[in-house]
Amino acid sequence: MPLENVPVFEVTDLRKSFRDLEVLKGISTTVQNRETVSVIGPSGGGKSTFLRCLNLLEEATSGSIRFEGKEVTGPLSVKEKALYRQRIGMVFQNYNVFPHLTVLDNITLAPTLEKKIPKEQAVQRAYELLERIGLDDKAKEYPTRLSGGQKQRLAIIRALAMDPDVLLYDEPTSALDPEMVKEVLTLIQELTEQGMTTIIVTHEMQFARAISDRVLFIDNGILVEEGVPEQIFGDPVQERTKEFLAKML
Amino acid sequence: MLNAILRIWNKYGFVYLNGLLGTLRLSAVTVFFATILGTVLAVFKLSKSRTANVLVDAYVEVIRGTPVLLQIYFFWLLLPKAIGFELSDTQSIIIAMVVNASAYVCEIIRAEIQAVDIGQREAAFSLGLTPVHTFFRITLPQAVKNILPALGNEFINMIKQTSLASVFFVQELTTAYRTVQSTTFLSIPSLMISGMIYLVVTFTLTRFLGLFERRLRSNAP
Ligand SMILES: Nc1ncnc2c1ncn2[C@@H]1O[C@H](COP(=O)(O)OP(=O)(O)OP(=O)(O)O)[C@@H](O)[C@H]1O
Ligand SMILES: [Mg+2]
Repeated sequence: MPLENVPVFEVTDLRKSFRDLEVLKGISTTVQNRETVSVIGPSGGGKSTFLRCLNLLEEATSGSIRFEGKEVTGPLSVKEKALYRQRIGMVFQNYNVFPHLTVLDNITLAPTLEKKIPKEQAVQRAYELLERIGLDDKAKEYPTRLSGGQKQRLAIIRALAMDPDVLLYDEPTSALDPEMVKEVLTLIQELTEQGMTTIIVTHEMQFARAISDRVLFIDNGILVEEGVPEQIFGDPVQERTKEFLAKML
Repeated sequence: MLNAILRIWNKYGFVYLNGLLGTLRLSAVTVFFATILGTVLAVFKLSKSRTANVLVDAYVEVIRGTPVLLQIYFFWLLLPKAIGFELSDTQSIIIAMVVNASAYVCEIIRAEIQAVDIGQREAAFSLGLTPVHTFFRITLPQAVKNILPALGNEFINMIKQTSLASVFFVQELTTAYRTVQSTTFLSIPSLMISGMIYLVVTFTLTRFLGLFERRLRSNAP
């Protein structure tokens, strides 16, 4: 369970290099419990790498990540890594639903396998989640039958089924046809309103402005500016933020 | 010509059928053991151990870079000396072919496993699946869909390749031709019979494999 007064993430001077290329050049920020944080910035700036470092899909080169008060950047065993990731849901740009499993099995696989939740209980929970997004009638089908928007919403509830303390989204609507963007954004917004701690990388500026408690602008591996959405979008301090927003809006 | 073929078939049909049996048995046994050995090799190749990687690479390079016939001679000459007891010609040929095919099987398995979208693995990791569960529940099942048809092709290749066993007069289809040819002296008709049987078998298997592949793709995408 997340502790109310301990930050979910405390990131200090996070650096990441791929060979000679330094992609994150010392990022420091804190994410509080129940907070919704948007990450914006130009392509190649390191937004995805930042998210991937948080759930250890990438190993930080240096710096520290504390999750609920505990350091996670040190050497962790395979088991510890898996346990850590169970508490952090991640949603990817291209859904990554499992094509060889039914919609239902996509959701129940991780809870039954890793949390040892009894099958019946996991199935019941899966149906509750499916009902919530109106896909309970598709439970026994394979995800290839689903539209992009349905796949992405499936990916989101698949992550939710693990009862994570925080959800990370990496451009969850960038691969979607325009008419499906709304259904996905609506679900994300509902979840944030119910108190799910959220970090979302997005190019949907209106949406970021509407749902965020705080916005991070990352460019060229640097956290150039962060603040409440009114400030970042309405009155940005840094030149680079202004330039970027001028291009986006 | 057709007459000669029919005459030979009537008289020596059983030789060919025995030969066909030998060919199928050789191929099946070879593919079976090559699949086991090839899987083990692929596991080493996909492991993080550098030594294992280099060794498997070398193995695959040597096997794929030299002719099968040479490998067959090599094992036929070397094995009895190396292990200190006699092996039948059939046994040393099977071992040579298993070694040969395992390199190809290893490559098939490695390639298909690596071809599974990396996003699948990352999604599994991000749900908190352990690497072992990720491999057996996510990566492998998706790779198997492509591995099985490729192994089927390997089996068809093997049916043709076992003709090399005729060098040592091991019972199989090409040896059947040699047997019949040496008693009838009708070289071309007796050769054509073997050829036709090969063709019928590989043609049938190819069709069958095509069907199987379509089945694999349609049920669960
Ligand atoms: N595995 C990797 N190996 C080498 N370079 C990488 C790797 N992953 C990312 N990079 C590089 O790191 C830089 C930052 O990439 P990243 O994907 O984090 O940017 P981004 O801000 O998410 O961009 P986008 O908006 O296009 O998704 C890019 O220059 C990219 O080419
Ligand atoms: Mg990105």
